[in-house]
Amino acid sequence: MDTIMTLTAYGSKSESAVKTAESEINRLDTLLSVQNKNSEIYRLNRDKTISASADTLNLLNRAIKIYNMTDGAFDITTEPLTRIWGFYSGLKNRVPSENEIADALKTVGAEHIRIDKNNITLDRNTSLDLGGIAKGYASARAAQILEENGIYSALISLGGNIRAVGSKPDGSDWSVAITDPDDNTQQVGTLSVSNTAVVTSGGYQRYFEENGQVYHHILNTDTGYPAKSGLKSVTVVSEDDTLADALSTGLFVMGLERASSLYSENNTLFGAVFVTDKNEVYITDNLKNSFSSQRSFEVIKI
Amino acid sequence: MKTRVWIIILSLAVLVCAVWWMLVSTPSYPSKIVGIYQNGSLVEKIDLNSVTGEREITLSGKFGKNTIFISHGHIEMKSAECPDKICVKHGALESSGTPIVCLPNKVVIKFESSSDGADAKTGAV
Ligand SMILES: [Zn+2]
Repeated sequence: MDTIMTLTAYGSKSESAVKTAESEINRLDTLLSVQNKNSEIYRLNRDKTISASADTLNLLNRAIKIYNMTDGAFDITTEPLTRIWGFYSGLKNRVPSENEIADALKTVGAEHIRIDKNNITLDRNTSLDLGGIAKGYASARAAQILEENGIYSALISLGGNIRAVGSKPDGSDWSVAITDPDDNTQQVGTLSVSNTAVVTSGGYQRYFEENGQVYHHILNTDTGYPAKSGLKSVTVVSEDDTLADALSTGLFVMGLERASSLYSENNTLFGAVFVTDKNEVYITDNLKNSFSSQRSFEVIKI
Repeated sequence: MKTRVWIIILSLAVLVCAVWWMLVSTPSYPSKIVGIYQNGSLVEKIDLNSVTGEREITLSGKFGKNTIFISHGHIEMKSAECPDKICVKHGALESSGTPIVCLPNKVVIKFESSSDGADAKTGAV
C-alpha cells in the first residue's frame, strides 16, 4: 500500500498486537493490490478467471452489494478507465479520446463479474481495482486483531482512513479532524468518535491539469470522466470500515442530493460530512452531536 | 545639522512605535494548557505557562496513588503505586501525540486540543 500507516494502541500487550495487525494489513495489501504481480487481483485481471481466497471473495461480494446500493456510483470495474486516464503509477496523466472512453465504458459494471462458489470470472476486457474498498477491509481486520488481543483503545490511520478502536484510554471520544480540501494544513471541523471508521474521498489530492482544465481521479462510470457532482470532499462515518471506505467514493460520485436520499434510507448504517464546490458544509443529522466546526454548516434531515 | 536631528528623532519615533507594536501584538506567553483526567473525567485543567512555583496533585485509583508534579511549563508523573510504572517512566509531558497514561489507575495527562489538536486527521489520498 503506497500510503502511510500508523497504529497507536494503548494496553500492556499492545506491542505484539500492533505487529500482528500490521502484518495482516500488509498481507491483505499483497493479496488485493492491482499493481502487485503476486496479488490475486493482478492474476484475475490477467487471466480473467481464478479460484479465489476467502478474503478476495468476501470483499468482492461486499463491493457488488455496495455497487447495487449506490446504483453503480461505487464501482470496482474501473481499472480500464483509470488506466486510460493514466492514474496508475508509471503512467502519464492525459485526457483520453472519446473512442477510448467509449471502449473502456463497455467493460465497466458489476454485470461483467461472475462469482460461482469460489471461482471468479471476468468478461474479456473487464479488470478490477479494489483501491476504493481494500483499505477499509484491511482496517476492519486490523481493528479485529487488536480487539482479539485485548486492546480496547487504539487508533488506526491507513492513508487517510481512520479507525477508532474503543475510545481513548481515559474513556473520552477520539477526535478526528477533516482536512480542508483547499488547504491540507487546515480543517473543516472535527468528529468525536469511538468504535467507528472515518473515511474521506475527494478530488483535491490526485489530479492533473490540461488546457486549463482540472481532472481528478474519481471517475464517474456513467460518463467516463472525473465525477462533477458539485462536491470537493465526502467524509463517511460508519462502524463498518469497508462500507465507509466504499461509500466515501460512491457518495462523492452521487453528489449531495442523491447521497442525501441514500442516507435517508440507511441512516443507521452511516453518517457523512460533505464539502461542496462552493465550500458549503453539510452533515447528516445523525452526526450533529459529534461534529463541531468553526464554520457554519447545514444539517441534512431524513 | 538640522536634518540629522530630524532623522534621529524620526528613527527614534519609529523605534518606539515598533517596540510598542511588538508589546501590544504579541501575546505575553503562548498558553500551554494540559488536562488531567481520571476515569475519563476531567480532574483539572492547568495552563502550565501561568504556573509559578511548584505543585503536586495526588490522585487515588484502583492500584493506589499517583502523584503529579507541576512547575512552570512542566508536568510529570512523579510517583505512582501502579504495577507497571509506565506513567512515571514517561517523564515530562512533551508532545500532544504522547500523553502520560497510567492505564492501571486510569489517569491521563495530556495537552488540551487547541482548534486543530485532533487525535487524527482524515483526508483524500
Ligand atoms: Zn502508572
